[in-house]
Amino acid sequence: MKLLFVSKLARSARAIFGEKQLDFPELAFSLEVGEFDVAVFVVYMPSDFPDLPYLARLLDGMPKDRRVIIDCTGRYNETIRVEHDFNHLEKMDGHQGWEWIEAFQSVADRILQPTLAPRRDDVQSFLFHGYDPSGVARGDVSAAQAARRWSDTRRYGVAYVGHNWQRWTQMRCLLEAIAPMRERLGMTTLVGWDWKRRPDWAVELGIKGADVDPELLERFGVETRDPIPFSEVRSFLGAARFSPIFQRPLFNELGLVSNRIFETFLADTVPLVMVPDALATAICGPAVRPLVCGTDIAERLEEVLRNPEPYWDAVVRVREHLATHHSYRQRLTELVALLER
Amino acid sequence: MNILFVMERRVNAGSIQALANYMRVSKEFGYAIALYGPPDPRFREIECSIDAAAFDYVIFIFESKLNWPSGLQLAHLLTTVPRSRRVILDADGMFNPIVSLDGYDRNHASEGDRQHWLAAYAALADRIVQPSLWPCDPRVQPLLFYGYDPAACTRQANGKRVDIMHVAHNWWRWRDVSERLLPAMERVRGDLGKISFVGLWWDQPPAWAADIGQQEAFCVDPGRFRDLQIEVRPAVPYREVIATMSTARVNIMTQRPLFRRLGLVTSKYFELFAADTIPLVLLEPEHAELIYGPAGRELALSDDIGGKLIDALEHPKKYRDVVHAIRQHLTAYHSYKRRLQELIVTLDHVDGQAASAK
Repeated sequence: MKLLFVSKLARSARAIFGEKQLDFPELAFSLEVGEFDVAVFVVYMPSDFPDLPYLARLLDGMPKDRRVIIDCTGRYNETIRVEHDFNHLEKMDGHQGWEWIEAFQSVADRILQPTLAPRRDDVQSFLFHGYDPSGVARGDVSAAQAARRWSDTRRYGVAYVGHNWQRWTQMRCLLEAIAPMRERLGMTTLVGWDWKRRPDWAVELGIKGADVDPELLERFGVETRDPIPFSEVRSFLGAARFSPIFQRPLFNELGLVSNRIFETFLADTVPLVMVPDALATAICGPAVRPLVCGTDIAERLEEVLRNPEPYWDAVVRVREHLATHHSYRQRLTELVALLER
Repeated sequence: MNILFVMERRVNAGSIQALANYMRVSKEFGYAIALYGPPDPRFREIECSIDAAAFDYVIFIFESKLNWPSGLQLAHLLTTVPRSRRVILDADGMFNPIVSLDGYDRNHASEGDRQHWLAAYAALADRIVQPSLWPCDPRVQPLLFYGYDPAACTRQANGKRVDIMHVAHNWWRWRDVSERLLPAMERVRGDLGKISFVGLWWDQPPAWAADIGQQEAFCVDPGRFRDLQIEVRPAVPYREVIATMSTARVNIMTQRPLFRRLGLVTSKYFELFAADTIPLVLLEPEHAELIYGPAGRELALSDDIGGKLIDALEHPKKYRDVVHAIRQHLTAYHSYKRRLQELIVTLDHVDGQAASAK
């Protein structure tokens, strides 16, 4: 089966239909719609639908029953608000909920969402994101060896790679919790858009999803850095003892998964899993529990620093679970099965 | 017949004024005309609809920006409205060979840019109409589209607070303004009262001009205005244009050089004559006559612009008679009632052709 993916690419956001883009040499691009069996629209935002003339060519060249949408951010739902996170961001992109529903229904017969429990009857579950076992950094060692190596000096105590979009509430809790132990832990770094300050557009539009407190960051000695390409994330996280896994409140509510869960387990770091326990266990298996942080974050980190081996054992076992259940090979098989059904 | 327009929503530019007029006159004919999308408080009198399937035709209005329609809207429209019922209004003459005037104004920066537009149009619709007095491409159907609303003619009871006004954005206009208008005004400045330029980008170019590679389009020298004591005022919403123009004794209409070359007509051609003012147009007399009738030559600013300004201010009665004659001409040939009929004929004609071909 030949699949044509349709989405907008950005090096610091995600990883194909369109003109060849030189900054993605590893990806194959095509405009030959007729040569493919299925067009898979991967949609996060309105710009993931191609501009003219490409969208018209796609819709003309591929029958609707061979078009599929992967709705990565739960747009294809009634409007949902969780804290100040929404699935329809009318203030930002000008689109109301009905527009998403109509557009999706116009484009494709099948809509998939990366959640184990879609809310709508006409949506199928397909996690889309996956795990690449061959990409594990320094994964050829036992938990004991990993723990010993991990105890050596690292550049960062905590590193988070991801944009500041609907993350501040969770990040603030983490930073406040670890503040008393930051001397022992090492520096914290935040990598991505809008960690330095609340962006002007958010102020102008009155959007709170990109809130941040620069004074707090300064007080806690937190470093902020610009986004890095996706190909550098794994090695960057490997320079830190701990890497938190946050998701947007909306994602936690809808059970949506993102690439971050899988990507963090590839890095040579201890993931601090800060998504709901049920979601974490459903995706990562029961072995993830020691890594799931509740309200006792500082206590948990102290414990990991004192005795890292059980936690590295959890990391190793989660990696095994992910390799078995969430590899890209598995994901592709699931996608093809869905499309052939 | 029901017609749905799809256009970029701008409150102080583009074709929104025309759309409001089409909606007004369509009721007399029992037609339904709407703008695609949800209602918008900025456009109170504009009917909006999201039910694209309920319309006989969908007309996409393209100006000088190609990718304003959101992918979401396009996806819905392209899958709901058959190609045979889609029409493009090419308002800025993008469906033409490259026209570059003295290396200044142009419709496309490169042949690649033009090909991208043509591909987009070809992907969207078979039919393209242009509001041109002399379309260059035989595949284009001429339809002036913009028109005159006799009922909109206002009479400003209060005295005029401005002698000379220019209502338009600084979009490829600086060359005409700086090389023709301002020198003429300078020569007679002592005999002129207040002068106002109303619109965007007369104080400074937009911050994004360089990002879209069009710094020349927004070129401006605010010092020239200061030296001539010319007031610069912000743009006004479309429904205030005529009232704003009516605060001045004389209004000058300029048009970007590309539009003049391509014979493109805009809302401004007609709004100017609904205002309580003496309009003077920076067009060749022949061009002015084509749209305004023989009396239009009298209002063309071609040579001795300064002298014409003074003459208009000193002999308003003479010019009011000319304006009256032109208004009669516009009512007879360019009313929105007439324009709507032309639009219907154009759409029906093409439909008839398609049926015959089948």
